[in-house]
Amino acid sequence: MKRDPAVLIIVAMVVALMLVFTFKLARRSLPGVASGTAQTNGIAPDFTLQSIDGKTVRLSDFRGKAVVLNFWATWCGPCKIEMPWFVDLQKQYGPAGVQFLGVAMDDASSKDIAEFAQSMKVNYPILIGKEAVGDAYGGVQFLPETFYVDRNGKIVDKAFGLKGRGEIEDDIKKIVGQPL
Amino acid sequence: MAKVVLLLLVAASLVAQDLPTRKAPSVTMSPAPVTTAIRGRSTTVELRFHVGSGFHINSNQPAAEYLIPTALKVEVPTDIIVGKITYPPGEQMSFAFAPDEKLSVYSGEFDLAVQVRPLASVLPGKYEIRGRLKYQACDNASCFPPKQLPVDFEVKVVKAPLPPQKNPAQSPHAHT
Repeated sequence: MKRDPAVLIIVAMVVALMLVFTFKLARRSLPGVASGTAQTNGIAPDFTLQSIDGKTVRLSDFRGKAVVLNFWATWCGPCKIEMPWFVDLQKQYGPAGVQFLGVAMDDASSKDIAEFAQSMKVNYPILIGKEAVGDAYGGVQFLPETFYVDRNGKIVDKAFGLKGRGEIEDDIKKIVGQPL
Repeated sequence: MAKVVLLLLVAASLVAQDLPTRKAPSVTMSPAPVTTAIRGRSTTVELRFHVGSGFHINSNQPAAEYLIPTALKVEVPTDIIVGKITYPPGEQMSFAFAPDEKLSVYSGEFDLAVQVRPLASVLPGKYEIRGRLKYQACDNASCFPPKQLPVDFEVKVVKAPLPPQKNPAQSPHAHT
């Protein structure tokens, strides 16, 4: 019996789509991450992580503030370029309700990450990342990745890779809005 | 039928848009020819690697302590000793993300030289040697997590050639 190639293509695509959806659904229920992903409803997935100074930090602790959530690593050259800008922008926009959060996605020890952050004079919380948190934000396949979250916890913009300081500042302006 | 295919394509592209798309870096190794090594003597095996276009990896001696060096780790059969691994010097390059900084990197093709020495007692034959090349790749604007590339090559161990034999016909005892 001869099969229509178009039917075979459709069957293959349907199977592929089902696999993608199954994968995405499975990612919603990762341990340590609240349900919901950045992709499905625009709300930044909540998480609980340890900071380099031993504090337990939840993203939801910052509800009401505009959050710049930056995934980075000590071995990432472009991330190192952004950090001094983030330090300046935290000073500049902190009083307006902007909070930077750095999530370190590397295998280095907390001590090494802390030393690195100290050498960069980082003035915002640095959290020790977990794969599950990265997965909730789309996998974080490369660094830096930055998510701009407004005061209501909604992701307004994302930046993959190094962007210019001007672009970063424009994204911050989008999430600052009016204080609640 | 064409409409159904089109709809499915649109649905697939919408799903794909959720995820950041960026070409993943590729580092590959050329198949290494079998290297012949004489028992008890050192031989150098040359390994050639390719870094995908648009990417670079740190050299074995990166410019800063925080960067992850490219390093080959070899697991060897018990009767073959792996000696020095020689890495090429990195190219000193500047990138858009750090125009004032020179980084020591490999891009395109680069070769590593691995010294191997089969023990004198090893049975002649082919031996497979495996290892892993640890590297961390970046492009002009982003960096990818460290990866390990499986590496393997073969060494053919042969006996040392026999020393030249004296011709018995020329022996002073031949005529006695």
